[in-house]
Amino acid sequence: MAVNEKSILNRLYFISGCMFVFGLAVMLKLFSIQFVDGEKYKALAEKRVVKDVVIPANRGNVYSANGNLLATSIPKYDIRIDALTSSSKNFSECLKPLSDSLAKFTGKTSNYYQRELQKARKNKNRYYLLARNIGYSDYVRIRNFPLLNLGAFKGGLIVEQVEKRERPMGGIAQRTIGYEREDENGNVTRPGIDGAFGVKYLRGVDGKRKMQRIGKGQWKPLSDANEIEPKDGYDIYTTIDVNIQDIAHHALLKQLETYNAEHGCVVVMEVKTGEIRAISNLGRTSKGTYYEKLNYAVGESHEPGSTFKLMALAAALEDKVIDTSDVVDTEKGVLTFYGKKVRDSKWGGYGKISVSEAFEVSSNTGIVKAIHNAYKDKPEKFVDRLYAMNLDDTLQIPIIGEAKPIIPDPRIKNGKWSGIALQWMSYGYGVRLTPLQSLTFYNAIANNGEMVRPRFLKEVKEFGKTIEVFDKEIINNQVCSKETIKKLQQLLKNVVEKKHGTGHRLYSENFSMAGKTGTAQTEYWMEDWTENKRYISSFTGYFPADEPKYSCIVVIHKPDTNVGYYGADVSGPVFKRIAQKIFTDTPLVDEVQMLEVKKASVEKEYEDYYSLAQTYKTIMPNVIGLPAMDAMALLENMDVKLRVKLNGSGTITKQSVEKSVKLKNNQTVVLNAS
Amino acid sequence: MIASSHSADKKVYEIARLKNEVKEIRSTFLEGRTKLMRLKMESNVISIMKQKGIKPSVIPPKKIKVTSKN
Repeated sequence: MAVNEKSILNRLYFISGCMFVFGLAVMLKLFSIQFVDGEKYKALAEKRVVKDVVIPANRGNVYSANGNLLATSIPKYDIRIDALTSSSKNFSECLKPLSDSLAKFTGKTSNYYQRELQKARKNKNRYYLLARNIGYSDYVRIRNFPLLNLGAFKGGLIVEQVEKRERPMGGIAQRTIGYEREDENGNVTRPGIDGAFGVKYLRGVDGKRKMQRIGKGQWKPLSDANEIEPKDGYDIYTTIDVNIQDIAHHALLKQLETYNAEHGCVVVMEVKTGEIRAISNLGRTSKGTYYEKLNYAVGESHEPGSTFKLMALAAALEDKVIDTSDVVDTEKGVLTFYGKKVRDSKWGGYGKISVSEAFEVSSNTGIVKAIHNAYKDKPEKFVDRLYAMNLDDTLQIPIIGEAKPIIPDPRIKNGKWSGIALQWMSYGYGVRLTPLQSLTFYNAIANNGEMVRPRFLKEVKEFGKTIEVFDKEIINNQVCSKETIKKLQQLLKNVVEKKHGTGHRLYSENFSMAGKTGTAQTEYWMEDWTENKRYISSFTGYFPADEPKYSCIVVIHKPDTNVGYYGADVSGPVFKRIAQKIFTDTPLVDEVQMLEVKKASVEKEYEDYYSLAQTYKTIMPNVIGLPAMDAMALLENMDVKLRVKLNGSGTITKQSVEKSVKLKNNQTVVLNAS
Repeated sequence: MIASSHSADKKVYEIARLKNEVKEIRSTFLEGRTKLMRLKMESNVISIMKQKGIKPSVIPPKKIKVTSKN
């Protein structure tokens, strides 16, 4: 076919037209990308290399009173392995030595690791867990294991680091030191000091800044107006004394184990200031071991039993309706009110005894009768007096979960009051207090009536600089008159010191203590109580008896009744151990005047020695008759350097170099002594 | 411009490295301190010394203070 110019031209127009349209489309798209969607794409591009980074603030530390760390944040490591990334040569070569090392590290067998690692490689597992939550030194050790020491790409080592809250004391005081934890749903649990002061002091404020991506997985800060510097949390210094805490913890643990008890707590408080020196709460696991389960001392209110007799007597003495010398009839150990019986632990009762003796032997009938006689017509007066002593107030401590005290009141219709409420209250039933609330009252008695709030914090610091100091807080200047206090202090002292006192088994001639035993029935409202008796054994008091320094409460729930259940037996020893520890830790100071008496013989010996040392510098002196100690000193301090050999240790009997012989450097002199 | 940006990058790497070092040193310190604290706790000392037949005294130490007249 002839090809004429026109037909070619037509085709050319068609092609170039198509290209023009295509070019136009490209231009249009470019235009739209640049100007129409430009902003969007620019932002997208920036997002890939620039991001807002939250700079976490470091959480503050929790310290003990003497500066020991109780809680801090340190990095912990999870180690995993990518079982696929290493070459088959490296993998097969290192499998055995790596498994051996891992076996040594964890205590599992080498075969186990060989199997598991091969399985992980076969299953293409790129995230096989080797160790979880290990410390830094262990991490360094694992990092140097065969295969893993080749690094992330050749060896497959994957390291994940997380900040963990660590308590160097371990399980000791764990519940009181506490933590702050947030679950996936944003619910926060905040037990203990760490929890209570987390928001206010420890947490700090997170910072924020824009960062740009640069190489090696690092991000470089971009300066930006929105930048917020992180502010680290403050450090808090608690009132806890590590040494007392340690003793309290172990004494309680031992007692719980001996009596196979359900749970227990102990609190030690400084009398004058209300500072908590030690607080331990141990609960039993299903395996029979104990750990800091709940903060029983703060959160668990229970019927105090006999320890409440102190509060009852304080009220009665203050109202001047009873005196300690009044005589009550314990009526063979059984009293009946509205068909309900009050019994003494001693079968047959104590006969006719004084109120103070009733307290000392912890006679239920004696105290109940005295209170009953004094208040039966006006029980609200008794209740008002308890109120006046702040016994129905919570302590308002910062630790979350304090239980509110319960005191029945005839004027409040809440089902707590009954015809026997007054009598039952007088020996500690129907009322409920937490151990810390009971202790606060006992502490007030020890502190001559001044009730101070229990305190956990001493100071808040930032880089060693004090931010806030906490002083003692007074709840009540004088819970009852000085006169009443005197009497109560004497009663508490007698419990331990008098032979008939329930706490006399704890008596020590070395140091004094004062306190009250408590053996309260618990869950007695349950039907199976008679065949399975359950008690709360407690001991509350202070020491030394005359000038109280510390008050202390020990409460042990449900000891095995086959081993024992009396407060003095179960809880008392813990109290005594702590008192003993504090007593032996405080040195007795004896002051003596310097004795300036000179003894003639000593003076003369010294003069002789001195003149001998001054005379003989290079010539051998006569040392026969001198004590070996003096002779050695004399010869070794001469101007010439001598080697002195001494046989024996008494007075010198023979010298190898004669007197007045000139001595040379490095000469050996042999002395014989008796 | 490019040079100073690179030197800034270099500083970032240096900071990251030093930060890691601080972290490592800090955790070694804390590990040591924890270990020491557990070792020196009285209950631990008592249990170790028990094997040697030594137990804590029941009476406190006596401190004699000499007050001189001059």
